[in-house]
Amino acid sequence: MANRYLEIFCREAEEHLASLQSGLLVLEKNPARTDLLHELLRNAHTLKGSARMVGLADISAITHTMEEQLKGMERGERTVDAQAIDLLLRGADAVAVITAALMRGTAPELDVERFVAEYERGELGQHLKAESKEAQPEALADTVRADVKTLDHLVNLVGELIINKKRLEAKLERLKEIGHALPAEHAAPLTTFRGELEEDVLYLDYLIQELHGKAMGLRMLPLRTISDGLERLVRDLAQQLGREVQFQIVGQAIEMDRVLLEGLKPILIHLLTNSLSHGIEAPDARAAAGKPRRGTVLLSARHQGNSVLVEVRDDGRGMDPAGIKAAALARRVIDAREADLLTDEEALYLTFRPGFSTAEIVTDVSGRGVGMDVVKKNIERVKGSVTLSSEPGSYTQITLQLPLTLSVLDALIVACGGETFAIPTTYLQEIVKVRASEIDTLGSGEVIKVRGATTQLYSLPGMLGLPERREAGNATLSAVVLKHCDQRIACVVEAHLGYSEVVVKGLGKQFRNVRFLFGATILGDGNPALILNVPDLFESGRGIQRAPLSAEEAQAAQRRLKVLVVDDSITTRTMEQSILVSQGYAVVTAVSGEDALEKSAGEQFDLVISDVEMPGINGFELTRALRDSERYQETPIIIVSSLSRDEDKRQALQAGAQAYIVKGAFDQGLLLETVQMLIG
Amino acid sequence: MGDDNSYDIRTILTQMREEYWQALAEEESEAKEMLECLVFTLGGKRYAFETHYACEVIRVPKLVRVPAVQSLIRGIFNLRGEITAAIDIRPMLGVPQPEIGATGRILVVRAENFATGILVEAAHGVQGLCFDCFEPVAAGSGVKAQFIRGHFNLEEGSVILLDMEALLAAPELVAGDA
Repeated sequence: MANRYLEIFCREAEEHLASLQSGLLVLEKNPARTDLLHELLRNAHTLKGSARMVGLADISAITHTMEEQLKGMERGERTVDAQAIDLLLRGADAVAVITAALMRGTAPELDVERFVAEYERGELGQHLKAESKEAQPEALADTVRADVKTLDHLVNLVGELIINKKRLEAKLERLKEIGHALPAEHAAPLTTFRGELEEDVLYLDYLIQELHGKAMGLRMLPLRTISDGLERLVRDLAQQLGREVQFQIVGQAIEMDRVLLEGLKPILIHLLTNSLSHGIEAPDARAAAGKPRRGTVLLSARHQGNSVLVEVRDDGRGMDPAGIKAAALARRVIDAREADLLTDEEALYLTFRPGFSTAEIVTDVSGRGVGMDVVKKNIERVKGSVTLSSEPGSYTQITLQLPLTLSVLDALIVACGGETFAIPTTYLQEIVKVRASEIDTLGSGEVIKVRGATTQLYSLPGMLGLPERREAGNATLSAVVLKHCDQRIACVVEAHLGYSEVVVKGLGKQFRNVRFLFGATILGDGNPALILNVPDLFESGRGIQRAPLSAEEAQAAQRRLKVLVVDDSITTRTMEQSILVSQGYAVVTAVSGEDALEKSAGEQFDLVISDVEMPGINGFELTRALRDSERYQETPIIIVSSLSRDEDKRQALQAGAQAYIVKGAFDQGLLLETVQMLIG
Repeated sequence: MGDDNSYDIRTILTQMREEYWQALAEEESEAKEMLECLVFTLGGKRYAFETHYACEVIRVPKLVRVPAVQSLIRGIFNLRGEITAAIDIRPMLGVPQPEIGATGRILVVRAENFATGILVEAAHGVQGLCFDCFEPVAAGSGVKAQFIRGHFNLEEGSVILLDMEALLAAPELVAGDA
């Protein structure tokens, strides 16, 4: 664009057009609100003045006509009705078309001269398409415009900061280990230094969190920025289809990442189009069914935890499971056997399968060659999930669950096939311990019960085509239960390594849509980890099997592994007990060495965990005593103690313990890791 | 924001200096007709490509395997915050694939849309290779020659010149559906 004043004008016009558009739509719903006219007049008037300044006679003429019409309304000489509003909207559209063409430096797709002439005479003029534009809310005086690229770059830099902080935290851990290996006189100053450093890192962490929040905030835009265009869409569609529709939007102020919002818009357009063309019945049909002639379409958004729920609900004819099943059968999306097994709820989700579309007639509205399967794909692309609910004859509700942002995710880190993967927690239901005895065979697959529900069990490395490491005797398996739409599957992993906030990085252009992967992140050790695209796992789930359990494994898994926890402190006892129980171990506690000896004589434990300093015999003596008895010669013993001297460790090992955990360094992961290493 | 047509002695001097050095450089390369190349080992043989394709040479870091992609993508690694793939181009050249050991390196190169790391058995640094001893690849010498421009007959043996233009544009380097 040659003239920079033109550019400024176009920007200004965009804002005025957006407020004109939203104001007019409100006015249409509430014709009594003549107070809005004043603001609309101001918009039209300013546009007219600016257009004249830069020598745009056409825009000036159109906005002049709009101004006259609005004045007439204000004076009460013109009625505020749908037709009058329509005329004004068409004027605004024409101005949008002309400015958009100016910005591109091309000729507008509109016979401007003819339009202006017809418009002045009050004729509706040509049918024109509204240019899609991102309506911006009116900017406040003390805001600045920032380049979106700069914002994205800022967020990326903050991501790098987070990764760097993680590396610092990993280094702190190393420092701790180094300290343990040093003689006491050298260890003490190091421990003090480490403590101080830890505080610094903690403060850095806090600052990064704040910075991250602020940086993300800059990229957030309210739903309103896309919903204004939607009101117009619903209104025009309803007219075109001969429907009477009341469109309500709740939660316009809910903010989401700009990138997500852009992804959401086509999805909402699709869902609203569906609601109007397939959902809401014609007024007469509604009246005959005893419903109000005017249908309601509700678009609502609200926060739920770390995600946003967006719902599109209409009180139309609903979805008919039987009809959907029949259509799916006819289109060979499913076979008869599969159809029989489907519940009504499951049948609704058939609409997401590729090749499914129930519209009897292909209209120019919905017959665009794409169906709900595309909607589902788009939602998966923005890491969302979709649920359907419906009551035939009464309503259809589509709920989208979307993350607030795509640049940082909460994820569970798991080890699998020798690699580390991150699973976004939005797809995670829970972590379970599975023993071979709990695995049943159903058809050709394996299933387990998760909270009473039969759930398919797969091996994650098997699904991903990675080598599987299944040691004999390792009877308890870790599995993650994943959810997507209405489905649940359980995937066996080697171990879970805790939750972490991960910064999402793209895989670069060398990787296009790679199956199973959403992106990568960089862990504290500087190595990358891949982020799994969970919906792909559900798709590939069918057909892939876990390596079957060996007879030995099956036998070893026949009973729950029993652990004896010995500690005089009730806190430590309870803590250890709850950690172990949550992982599926049977736990018995003892309050002293003597108590432990008594209990261990009564039943056989697979593992003993003991404190050192206790009233009566201490942990070392207990270990020696157990080793002397025939039943406990081979049983693994872990010493957990606040004594961190090498001398104590040596004594523990001499007494016959397999592992020594210092309470100072005590964490859930370390204890479980040690237990699993010793008994699985 | 008008055009700046004012007389600026510094710009002119810089320009003159650049022209001077450029002329010198041209003279030199014309005299010897050298091609500056990065030389490395693949399948036990010496290969080379022009230095301007290379960004850097690094030791092989931990490679993270990527499930469900072609085997020539051996994994990804963290190149200063950018996720980068490590590729084994030896199958494309039809050469043996001995284990990449301690002398192994990754040559980070820039393709049109992405940077990628080529795994090699060893890197021998930058050498000026003389055009006089260059022998272009004979026409019709088979499919495996599609990524080769020819070879240099040097005293210490031959060095094969890769056609990086063709290699980096090869569709098999890219993973996933379009």
